[in-house]
Amino acid sequence: MKVLPIEKFGLGEMDRPKVLFSKVGIVGCGSVGQSLSRMFSRQGIEVVFIELTDEKVKEAYAGIEKELDDMINRWGVTESEKRAVMKRIYGSTDCKNLAGCDLVIEAVLSRVREDSVELRKKIFKNIEKHVAKDAIIATNSTTIVITGLSNELEYKDRCVSLHFSTTAPESRTVEVVRGLHTSDEAYEKVIKFTKILASTVIPVEESPGLISVRLFVPLINEACEIYMEKVSALENIDEVMKSSFGLALGPFEMADKIGLDKVVRWMDNLYSEFGDMKYKASPILKRLVRANKLGRKTNEGFYKYDEKGQKMKKKSSRKE
Amino acid sequence: MKILVLNCGSSSIKYQLFNIETETVLAKGIVEKVGMKGSFMKYQKLGEDSVMLEGEIIDHKVGIEYILGVLTSKEIGCLSSIEEIEAVGHRVAHGGEKFDKSELITDAVIAEIEEASELAPLHNPANLKGIYAMELLLPKVKQVAVFDTAFHQTMPAKAFMYALPYSLYKKYGIRRYGFHGTSHKFVAKRACDILGVNFESLKIITLHLGNGASAAAIKYGKSVDTSMGLTPVEGLIMGTRVGDVDAGALTFIMEKEEISAATLNTLINKHSGMIGITSVSSDMREVEEAAAAGNERAKLGLDMFHYRIKKYIGEYAAAMGGVDLIIFTGGIGENGTETRAEILTDFEFLGVDFDKSKNNVRGKEACLTTETSKVKVMVVPTNEELVIARDTQRVVETA
Repeated sequence: MKVLPIEKFGLGEMDRPKVLFSKVGIVGCGSVGQSLSRMFSRQGIEVVFIELTDEKVKEAYAGIEKELDDMINRWGVTESEKRAVMKRIYGSTDCKNLAGCDLVIEAVLSRVREDSVELRKKIFKNIEKHVAKDAIIATNSTTIVITGLSNELEYKDRCVSLHFSTTAPESRTVEVVRGLHTSDEAYEKVIKFTKILASTVIPVEESPGLISVRLFVPLINEACEIYMEKVSALENIDEVMKSSFGLALGPFEMADKIGLDKVVRWMDNLYSEFGDMKYKASPILKRLVRANKLGRKTNEGFYKYDEKGQKMKKKSSRKE
Repeated sequence: MKILVLNCGSSSIKYQLFNIETETVLAKGIVEKVGMKGSFMKYQKLGEDSVMLEGEIIDHKVGIEYILGVLTSKEIGCLSSIEEIEAVGHRVAHGGEKFDKSELITDAVIAEIEEASELAPLHNPANLKGIYAMELLLPKVKQVAVFDTAFHQTMPAKAFMYALPYSLYKKYGIRRYGFHGTSHKFVAKRACDILGVNFESLKIITLHLGNGASAAAIKYGKSVDTSMGLTPVEGLIMGTRVGDVDAGALTFIMEKEEISAATLNTLINKHSGMIGITSVSSDMREVEEAAAAGNERAKLGLDMFHYRIKKYIGEYAAAMGGVDLIIFTGGIGENGTETRAEILTDFEFLGVDFDKSKNNVRGKEACLTTETSKVKVMVVPTNEELVIARDTQRVVETA
């Protein structure tokens, strides 16, 4: 078949803007990065993710594939959709591959707060070396403010904080934060991007924890208090919260799903920002994290999970 | 009169340019992956090989601009200028209760199509993109909307109502609308032309069997019932859609599998039908191959597919007080010799005298019954684009 370039067939001089966000980068492809890759690729966007080693790239691919398989088993996507999604995702250890991305989101994981800010600043600077000057650079972190991360960049006005909820796969909200330097143009672009994802933008002022994390942290802490005071059993606390407030998961189930280490990191960050005891991680959480009982990912947190990630039923509980 | 017919999907634009006086297709093609990486356009001029045009097509407006650019290009086009296009016909998926025929597009019509988007959230917004783009690119040219639901608007309330609380019908328009209207109407009329009988004198059952499938009961020229409902999920078993199912089973599944309404929608639209039953394919040819090789689930899938269609034929014959003509169309209806043979077996009681020797036709007009058969059965290839072009001409000339 004869193949021709389509550009020469336009109707004269028409305003033909470039396709925005056809390629998006993700730096750090742990569980959050994997969810973002999957979410973006499902909307037809090409995704490049960057990891530290080839081994980690492989792990990320496997993680995304597993997430899609789980969705197939839960009737969310089909086999052919999975193939198309995987085809649009490219993992690499080389940041040069971020060239051509209209948006790069940092989604790295760091254990200590001080390291975390410095590490993210370095990542931001490194991303800036490889992308066009109008490409958006964003963080998915909720507890670290974007102005701090963008301060040392050459073009600071392109930075925003974008928080996608990866805990509920069907969530369609994105918390978007403008930093002090963020330009209107960059902010508008980000709004366009969220529209491509059929998501609703929740504008949030620059404040650690935004809405989602800041509200969830005291909830889980209080749930731990109730549990420690032996007011009721774990599953009863979850059950009451689910049925009374129409939640899909109770606080302990949700914490296990998010990962207890991550929950504790959120708490440490919020506590250090606000100094309020309500954000200080509960001793139970600390104890579980020390014992590497991090939730679903280690098959044990507040609950125990089987190999398929299904919650195992307790043989006996106070419920009876 | 040259008429451009557009069928805009969420990321594709199908187009055909007609010379309506001679009913010839001067050019046709498709724009794919609109707004995505790797977008392209296929173009075929009458009597020539297909051409592939590659490049960035950011949205429907740019896609349609390129369609017009290619049609008028010196190198590969077929029009000397854009002014030659006298009218544009758009396929519009859902016309709600407002439209029982094709309409000249005005601001009021656009507002109604926008309102009906709630009932067809995947299709109507895409159709509207094409309409908006054309208004910008060819502001002086008349545009016509041809609705997939319009032909079925003649259904009586006893056929289109669900026995749900009446307040839901009033509140949200929850009722049966039916789809594939242009196809059912076209093949029914065409069959009557071939037989030399008046379309308004017969009781006809049309079977549009493709990856999406529906049946319609057409009594004296009017659709009186059809198998698809509020959405295209109801009715016959399809490639990936479930068709008729106990609504109680769905709420049960939602509870057991702990899934949301959105996921249930994916389950009944994409994981069900032939692919769901057989795990082989949503493509009937592949299912038939697997069944021939002994795959039991493929055999079960085929049995269920045929049985459901037979049931609908019986239902519609009963509803109309008889049937004179049964018509097969759509990819499977036009080419599926096995499907037709299975469906037409044991219909003698209804007056169908199936002549197996005539069944070996694919994609061509044919009569499958004996000369003396009381009920005639025909194969009529569908041509929705031609119906859209004809309707567009009629509406424009009478406007």
